[in-house]
Amino acid sequence: MTFRRFAFNNVMRNKRTYAAYFLSSAFSVMAFFVYAVFAFHPDMSGGSVHSNVSLAMHFAEGLIYAFSFFFVLYSMSAFLKTRKKEFGLMVMLGMSDSQLKTMVFLENVLIGFGATAAGIGFGLVMTKLMLLAAENLLGLDEPLAFYLPWEAIALTLAAFLVLFVVISAFTVVILRSNRLIDLLKGSAMPKKEPKSSVLLSLLAALLIGAGYAIALVARGTVVVAVMIPVTLMVVVGTYFLFTQLSVYIIHKSRGNRSLFWRGTNMLFLSDLAYRMKDNARTFFMVAILSTVAFSAIGSLVGFKTLMTKTLLAENPFAFEYRPAKIDEGQEKAELAAIEQALRVEGIEYRKLQVTMSSQTRSDAEKSVTVVKASEFNAIAVAAGEKPVELAAGESMIIYYSNEFLGNQMPERGKAVLKAGAIELEPIGGQSSVILPNFESYYVVPDEQYEQMEHPSVQRFYAFDVDDWKKTKDAGAAIEERLKESRSRFISVAYELHLMNQSYGIMLFIGLFIGAVFFVASGSFLYFRLYADLPEDKAKFKSITKLGLTDRELSGIVTKQLMILFFVPIVVAFVHGAVALTSMQNMFGTSLMSTSMSVLGTFMAIQAVYFLLIRGRYVKEVVA
Amino acid sequence: MEMLSVRQLSKIYGGKVPSRALTDISLSIEEGEFVGIMGPSGSGKTTLLNLVAAIDSPTTGEVLIGGRNPHRLKKRELARFRRRELGFVFQDFNLLNTLTVEENIVLPLTLEGEPVKAMESKVREMADKLGIESILKKRTYEISGGQAQRTAIARAMIHKPKFLFADEPTGNLDSKAAKDVMEILSAINRSERTAMMLVTHDAVAASYCHRVIFIKDGQLYNEIHRGESRQAFFQKIIDVLSLLGGNAHDLSTIRV
Repeated sequence: MTFRRFAFNNVMRNKRTYAAYFLSSAFSVMAFFVYAVFAFHPDMSGGSVHSNVSLAMHFAEGLIYAFSFFFVLYSMSAFLKTRKKEFGLMVMLGMSDSQLKTMVFLENVLIGFGATAAGIGFGLVMTKLMLLAAENLLGLDEPLAFYLPWEAIALTLAAFLVLFVVISAFTVVILRSNRLIDLLKGSAMPKKEPKSSVLLSLLAALLIGAGYAIALVARGTVVVAVMIPVTLMVVVGTYFLFTQLSVYIIHKSRGNRSLFWRGTNMLFLSDLAYRMKDNARTFFMVAILSTVAFSAIGSLVGFKTLMTKTLLAENPFAFEYRPAKIDEGQEKAELAAIEQALRVEGIEYRKLQVTMSSQTRSDAEKSVTVVKASEFNAIAVAAGEKPVELAAGESMIIYYSNEFLGNQMPERGKAVLKAGAIELEPIGGQSSVILPNFESYYVVPDEQYEQMEHPSVQRFYAFDVDDWKKTKDAGAAIEERLKESRSRFISVAYELHLMNQSYGIMLFIGLFIGAVFFVASGSFLYFRLYADLPEDKAKFKSITKLGLTDRELSGIVTKQLMILFFVPIVVAFVHGAVALTSMQNMFGTSLMSTSMSVLGTFMAIQAVYFLLIRGRYVKEVVA
Repeated sequence: MEMLSVRQLSKIYGGKVPSRALTDISLSIEEGEFVGIMGPSGSGKTTLLNLVAAIDSPTTGEVLIGGRNPHRLKKRELARFRRRELGFVFQDFNLLNTLTVEENIVLPLTLEGEPVKAMESKVREMADKLGIESILKKRTYEISGGQAQRTAIARAMIHKPKFLFADEPTGNLDSKAAKDVMEILSAINRSERTAMMLVTHDAVAASYCHRVIFIKDGQLYNEIHRGESRQAFFQKIIDVLSLLGGNAHDLSTIRV
């Protein structure tokens, strides 16, 4: 048997240990690759998506790469840890240091290359599925065509070949620091009981509690001011929650014999303290990352709902058109184009027109806009707003308002117009969003309007249709036609569509990264468990001899896994809920229902993952 | 009263080349009896113990402990049966190193859901008997091998089992600790009238038994009874072992 033959057999006959390492490496390659395919997608970097979105995607790709690095590094060290004893044996049998290093290095490079190839292969299959899913879920315009992603393949290959070579070099460092005795003993040395400090545990509870309280009490702009200190407090608090408080609580429960000495609690809790301490940093990372993902996705969804609501509230008509300047010819042509587009689509419409006359005030400070009552009433009725009723000589002030600014009525200013010294003294005011005017304006009776001189008028057209949702294509066509024009044209359906597109993609990125973090953190835990599996097996075997039923055993394992899987997420869930409530206080609008559905989805994904791993693990331990 | 009855027990390990580990073993252990099982390496001692303690299942034959056949019990019932009626002591102690000595001892009782008060008094009683009161709060890595084995015995005995199985309990101990452990076992055997089955290599350990059964190549070879003197019994055991064809290094060089 040559050395090469030996190394080969070593891999082939030890498939299970290698498989775990291989699969997790392939998984991270796949996540990276699928993501790269999206980032390099011609339709994404092309017209339909903003360039900063694609920039954001590449930035996120960097994040995934960094995460992959640690993930693979961790998988590798878990993998080496399970084989420590084997290495020790080889060294004892006379394998030279350089031979051992060569063997491990070669194995790692081979596994790395294999995993890269396999990851890209799986990734290609996954890509097609993901593209289909993204298209359907996000309602993207142009279907995201499947393409042969050369750029993505090249990037993934280069990135991971470098990664695996660097990580393989790390193995040499890891092995060097091990003495033979440590190798042989492996992880057999019993661990000291995890320690926790009362002070730091208290600090954890205090920081989190105070952070929550401040976040929930703050209102309006104060939220922005306290955001950074609260975030810092909660982050530090969370760190100590996992490293100190959790261990402290478990330690305290040891003292409570009626709890600790009941049923399987003793086995369950005593192990848990170690597991918590071992995984505290992973938990912390996962909890914080998940909180960020939760809050980001939650606020994104919230913002989108808000923007949609505002857009729809502010634009009661399917199309609104305001010619750029008084150029009768251009105005006519553009109007004709709009009407033409509507006719082509076979949409019935009503054209409403408002003439806005700009008048100079006698004090010459500002100009005021005056609108004819009949025109205003026609359009107001169509928009579902209140018409004005004016007797001769009366006028009404119309002001703009929205939910955020509050419905404040401006001062009922008296305006004396320069031309003809007409006095406008409004009898009242009402709010309206019809005209694209943020300044208040006056509605005057028709007769009075006719009597005035109108040196500068601007027209505003609204197109009222029964079902504005059908006007997207017409809107797109007109938008295209008027691209060069300085006139203002808004198609609600098209605007909404554009908004959905860019939000959809951002949401997709958020969800994708969130999912990657989740699955990766699950795999992290699985690796830890896998590394401890032989110990666990031996332990459970001896307890079984003492008389532990299979059901009790699987109960212990399930409870432990459940805590490992869900504690960080539940923490993130609570953090996220507080953060979103706080943001809700800032915006004064509810983000809860939408964000909860996002959080719920993540929970569900994690639950499925948990069930899969639990099944496998219980089977391994019982077997 | 007959505590253990083994009838025509055989075990064949399957695989490409089936190997016969035990052939037609029949034996019986009375209440309060302390029986040793000896034999050279590979003779089937541990297989016998595993079959009797229902850790492994026999190919043919029958085992009855207190009149019940553990191999006929369902898995759940078997677990209950083990933690109520049987006690185990192993060569490598099998203590859980995440627990303290005290917690290790009460483990079988917690699984049974006993009240804390009862458990506490039982622990005190056992610790007192075994001389481990001072280490009750210690962790398993802080105690010596002899103390660990005494802890394991306390754990095996705390629920007052009818039958105790010990698999090479002195195998990992120095001669002083081994002597202590054997004296404790034989004291418990006397005071509690617990039937015991001890598998061992160690002639000194075996000399504490009432009766020693020798196995060779999976078959019963011989059986000797202890008379008045342990010394004489020890000598008899050594004689049988040399007849068994054991090599000199199989024999303990310590003569008590």
